[in-house]
Amino acid sequence: MLKLIFFLVFLLPLCFINNMFWMVQVLLFFISFLFLLMNNFMNYWMNISYFLGCDMLSYGLVLLSLWICSLMLMASESVYKYNNYKNLFLLNVVMLLLLLVLTFSSMSLFMFYLFFESSLIPTLFLILGWGYQPERLQAGIYLLFYTLLVSLPMLIGIFYLMNKMGTMNFYLMNNFMFNYDLLYFCLVCAFLVKMPMFLVHLWLPKAHVEAPVSGSMILAGIMLKLGGYGMLRVLSILQMMNLKYSFIWISISLVGGVLVSFVCLRQTDLKALIAYSSVAHMGIVLAGLLTMSYWGLCGSYSLMIAHGLCSSGLFCLANVSYERLGSRSLLINKGLLNFMPAMALWWFLLSSANMAAPPTLNLLGEISLLNSIVSWSWVSMIMLSLLSFFSAAYTLYLYSFSQHGKIFSGVYSFSSGKIREYLLMLLHWLPLNMLIMKSDMCLLWL
Amino acid sequence: MKYLSICSISFLNLISISMTCFFCSLYFLLNNLVYFIEWEVVSLNSMSITMTFLFDWMSLLFMSFVLMISSLVIFYSKEYMSGDVNINRFIMLVLMFVLSMMLLIISPNLVSILLGWDGLGLVSYCLVIYFQNIKSYNAGMLTALSNRIGDVALLLAIAWMLNYGSWNYIFYLEVMQNEFEMMLIGSLVMLAAMTKSAQIPFSSWLPAAMAAPTPVSALVHSSTLVTAGVYLLIRFNILLSNSWMGQFLLLLSGLTMFMAGLGANFEFDLKKIIALSTLSQLGLMMSILSMGFYKLAMFHLLTHALFKALLFMCAGAIIHNMNNSQDIRLMGGLSIHMPLTSACFNVSNLALCGMPFLAGFYSKDMILEIVMISNINMFSFFLYFFSTGLTVCYSFRLVYYSMTGDLNCSSLNVLNDEGWVMLRGMMGLLVMSIIGGSMLNWLIFPVPYMICLPFFLKLLTLFVCIFGGLFGYLISVSNLYTINKSMILYNLTNFMGSMWFMPYISTYGVIFYPLNYGQIVSKSFDQGWSEYFGGQHLYQKLLNYSQTLFLIHNNNLKIYLMLFVFWILILVNFLLFL
Repeated sequence: MLKLIFFLVFLLPLCFINNMFWMVQVLLFFISFLFLLMNNFMNYWMNISYFLGCDMLSYGLVLLSLWICSLMLMASESVYKYNNYKNLFLLNVVMLLLLLVLTFSSMSLFMFYLFFESSLIPTLFLILGWGYQPERLQAGIYLLFYTLLVSLPMLIGIFYLMNKMGTMNFYLMNNFMFNYDLLYFCLVCAFLVKMPMFLVHLWLPKAHVEAPVSGSMILAGIMLKLGGYGMLRVLSILQMMNLKYSFIWISISLVGGVLVSFVCLRQTDLKALIAYSSVAHMGIVLAGLLTMSYWGLCGSYSLMIAHGLCSSGLFCLANVSYERLGSRSLLINKGLLNFMPAMALWWFLLSSANMAAPPTLNLLGEISLLNSIVSWSWVSMIMLSLLSFFSAAYTLYLYSFSQHGKIFSGVYSFSSGKIREYLLMLLHWLPLNMLIMKSDMCLLWL
Repeated sequence: MKYLSICSISFLNLISISMTCFFCSLYFLLNNLVYFIEWEVVSLNSMSITMTFLFDWMSLLFMSFVLMISSLVIFYSKEYMSGDVNINRFIMLVLMFVLSMMLLIISPNLVSILLGWDGLGLVSYCLVIYFQNIKSYNAGMLTALSNRIGDVALLLAIAWMLNYGSWNYIFYLEVMQNEFEMMLIGSLVMLAAMTKSAQIPFSSWLPAAMAAPTPVSALVHSSTLVTAGVYLLIRFNILLSNSWMGQFLLLLSGLTMFMAGLGANFEFDLKKIIALSTLSQLGLMMSILSMGFYKLAMFHLLTHALFKALLFMCAGAIIHNMNNSQDIRLMGGLSIHMPLTSACFNVSNLALCGMPFLAGFYSKDMILEIVMISNINMFSFFLYFFSTGLTVCYSFRLVYYSMTGDLNCSSLNVLNDEGWVMLRGMMGLLVMSIIGGSMLNWLIFPVPYMICLPFFLKLLTLFVCIFGGLFGYLISVSNLYTINKSMILYNLTNFMGSMWFMPYISTYGVIFYPLNYGQIVSKSFDQGWSEYFGGQHLYQKLLNYSQTLFLIHNNNLKIYLMLFVFWILILVNFLLFL
């Protein structure tokens, strides 16, 4: 793991040299391929050095972080073009990536917590520094404090664990089991907010709407997965407690997912719609994960990866429209099919991924999660079917409202899609549809 | 044209694959061969998600028909869509559509069938909204969402199949057919099939999908999208026979058949009449399938595909000549102006009615005779035969309005019958609509069904058809002094002519609640209670508290004095009690 960390650390000075924007981006791609070839497809910790290590679960998420961060730079060409503090932007992104890689590859719970929290700071800077409206201040505060409010109890919980177990190592932790309600809530709530579960999801739409495209991509792509990742890690010591309490979270996220889908149908803001759809999808992930069945745990990992790629791609598309029309409103983003037919194809492909159409990874994840949740309780069939139905409804609404019909008459002129944008979409879509061919890599982590 | 157009390339490809499939099918049929190819995608907990392909004579024959019809439709679109800028996109979408159908036909696995099933739903959505107007937008949404109900049902069926350890349903159907879980899977699959084949609660999308370009309608309504449901249930037919599901489906499909036949008699839109007739025929297929005669359903599915595609292609040619008007009241006398198209139109119409020795006769007559010797109740019997009469009735009404009399369109309209590319496409299907029935009859049923009927029952079909045709012709005849009969019972006309209000129910009826809930949730959860117990309220409280604390910092002597007194009191308290 150290080579990865060193690579990223030594990338930091490069950010200060002018006109190194694309160089950094290419190097990030380089490191993602390098990491891809590390091939640790085993179900145990590999590449161990100091507190860092990598098992299947970490591997997928580290790879996703590397991939999404390189795509983030590709998507934020405007930062480079208009010289919107591009060096600081680069520094911020690489810093964030470094912290995320450290988060996912920490083998120690405390280190995980430390980097988990510190990754908030570059994200906050992204929103505050490169966001659009003055409301981004509020959004930043929401992002920070929703997470902090519940993660400080988690810190106490971690101290308690350290005291009891004498180790923070994930692998050694598996030997312990705690039947302590307060500890359960301390440890789990932080991740529930991060996921986010319905009712504590308010920070997410706000942050998404205010964030620049790179911020949205990292939020939807990686930050939400931090919650799922952490949950998968700590659940192993809290199994008994989870059996007792999981029904609360599962119910909230299933019902909440349906309610959020209703909210999606009322959105007129492209980004808000995609953000709310993330809440609905992560609701299924959370529900499947907490059933603690094999299918659920594997499916949640699979859907996390799939959703990371798919929603990040949708945010990119929203940004493509935004850069041309200057608005995210669906009343202005209309009839784009006539002007950018090739981009409409990408809209369609990523929308269909969002509604879990085959052969995407989303479908694989959704099927596994359906299996686990229906096995958990057949009553959840009602909410699951509604969720699945409305996910198609709002995604089609998103697609057809933005692509079909008359073009907004106030628009004067804009360029059609650029190669960079098509490549960006391709790199989101390709893994999403190709990974299904080797789906044990993104399903069988346990 | 300098280069070979995309239509010609696709035509050649598809027709050659179609021929290959057809001969393979003959070979498989002769030798009783079945090929079963499986690729394991992933295996988890001893459950393997597999991509499964099943090649037997039925799937190959169906594939060859679908490919043949689609090749001719694409050939036809070369002229029909020639004025369209995006013809490449159009043809590619159609090809994707055909590909999805292929995948659907050859997948006997509940997971891998999703590839074709969802593909059909999504690509059909793109095709329905191909034209950029509000009507097609709405129709596309209705189509896609109706089909999505079926997708969800299939997903839930997948979750229930977990019980059996594999999604290759064909291994479990027969053994497990009396188990509750299998019944549940069966009913979910039935729900899925009903949405795809537009059976009664979900019928409204089918006429709405007429917003698509006519070649797409020809493809969708003949052999691809709508028959997917029937085909899926043919694969699941074991579950239907001798269970409540079969009875339930018999009722619903019978009603669909009746409703659509009735509705077509009140319709004036050419494409909608044909769409409703498709719906009626789908009802027929579904109902005979629910009685357990899956081979007959397959037979009718294939013959129907042939003449229905032809009917739509003729309708397209007519619409082109009528300046894109689809209203049959503006047509008339077309048999004089467009003789060849009219001939095709009439042949396919007669085949639809079951005119002896045309394609439709063999399947339809056989179905009705099987119904007569089967053990079914009076109501279903009535639905079958009344609907058969209605089919002939609306067909002859259509012929009366469009073919006979004088042209009622604008007098500046010039009709011609010289769309040679379109006509050539139609000719291929014309031959098939004539010989297809008897050919398939010999292929599919090497041993004929034994049908033993009394003389009057044997004549019943013929009588119903003749009476229906006469009736359809006579009620349409009108002149200046005729009383408008449909105005006498206006409410009834309205009810029957609008598919029993189903389009209203499935659009305005269901859209209110989700949108309204969306507003309520948005207002009272997201911007209401969640904020109240979350960020905003906390923020307000902290603001208030810090304002209160600011009182101390006001350098007010009284407050300091007061605090001093309190402090002394506390100290005294400590001193006294320690």
